[in-house]
Amino acid sequence: MLKGLVLAFAGFAVFLLLHVLLFRLRVPARRFMVMVRLVFALGVLLTILHRLTPPDLGFLPPVYTLAGWAIDLLNGLLVYGFLFIGYCMFYFLVDRGFSGRMMIEIESSPQRRLRPAEIAARYSLAMVLRRRLNEMLEIGRITEVNGRYQNTAKGRSAAAMFANVKRFLQLGEGG
Amino acid sequence: MRGLVAGALAFAVFFLVQAGGFHWVKISRRALTLVGLWVAGLPVYVWLYVWLPEDRAVWPVALAAPSDSITVLSGGLLYFFLFMGYAQFFYMAESSVGVRTMIELASEPERGLTLEELTQRYRYDWMLDRRLRRMIHAGYLIEEDGWYRTTHRGRLTAAVMAWCKQLLRLGPGG
Repeated sequence: MLKGLVLAFAGFAVFLLLHVLLFRLRVPARRFMVMVRLVFALGVLLTILHRLTPPDLGFLPPVYTLAGWAIDLLNGLLVYGFLFIGYCMFYFLVDRGFSGRMMIEIESSPQRRLRPAEIAARYSLAMVLRRRLNEMLEIGRITEVNGRYQNTAKGRSAAAMFANVKRFLQLGEGG
Repeated sequence: MRGLVAGALAFAVFFLVQAGGFHWVKISRRALTLVGLWVAGLPVYVWLYVWLPEDRAVWPVALAAPSDSITVLSGGLLYFFLFMGYAQFFYMAESSVGVRTMIELASEPERGLTLEELTQRYRYDWMLDRRLRRMIHAGYLIEEDGWYRTTHRGRLTAAVMAWCKQLLRLGPGG
């Protein structure tokens, strides 16, 4: 099953490279959608490559080439998909992480220290909410009419699902 | 398949224990509990792997793999990745401002809410305090007489994050 793993890690490395290049060359309007499309396209390419290449890829030890092609491919695609999910976790932490932003604000302040009120002044609640609202408008979870925001059907079902999860796992109001 | 099935089953056991635990007991140190339960599930994965039959005995040839180190590793990776994916979902439910916003909007399905009305529903000082306390606990920040400053670890993390934001041209974010 080594071939699938090798292709999965190589495919993910190519994804990372192209993702950085794309974001460097031109900031996409819908960043996450671009990432999803890219990972999907490379996943298709990975599947084709898996079917066209020999089980040892020309360099793998023969002892690791005895698995059936379907399990090898399935395993490779699972690893590839989960590497992307793991990367998304990191990406969202960098892009939207509230705590990360606070640390950067503290570090960039003249004395490299801040009080909570100063953090709030540099990054107000209205700024936090406006960014989230814009993102949710983009992905169709909410609509905005005359300055009033409402859930779409997609937003309503997501809100109901998360509210149930919060309640079931006793997570509090959160946010 | 043996490794993947063992990994998926071990995660199912973890998930049931975790969901039951969080439902019946009010847990304050959630991250530690999640990781602790996942680690406790590793012997379950090993036990399931040993208990499951050889692939060739039950699966067609295309889905059969020898029970070697790669098969064990693949199952372990699946168990790890499923946990990581679930952790992402868990923290989205627990901490996401966007999710909280949708829940607030759901309480006013007919009229909706303005940005001003939404801000009034949040306790920003509580939101900030919660995150600051977490970062102190995790060793990223130090609090001195009401001032917050980064530790060595916090400085390094802030630098890495700022570099990644710059590399991907993500803007200040947060």
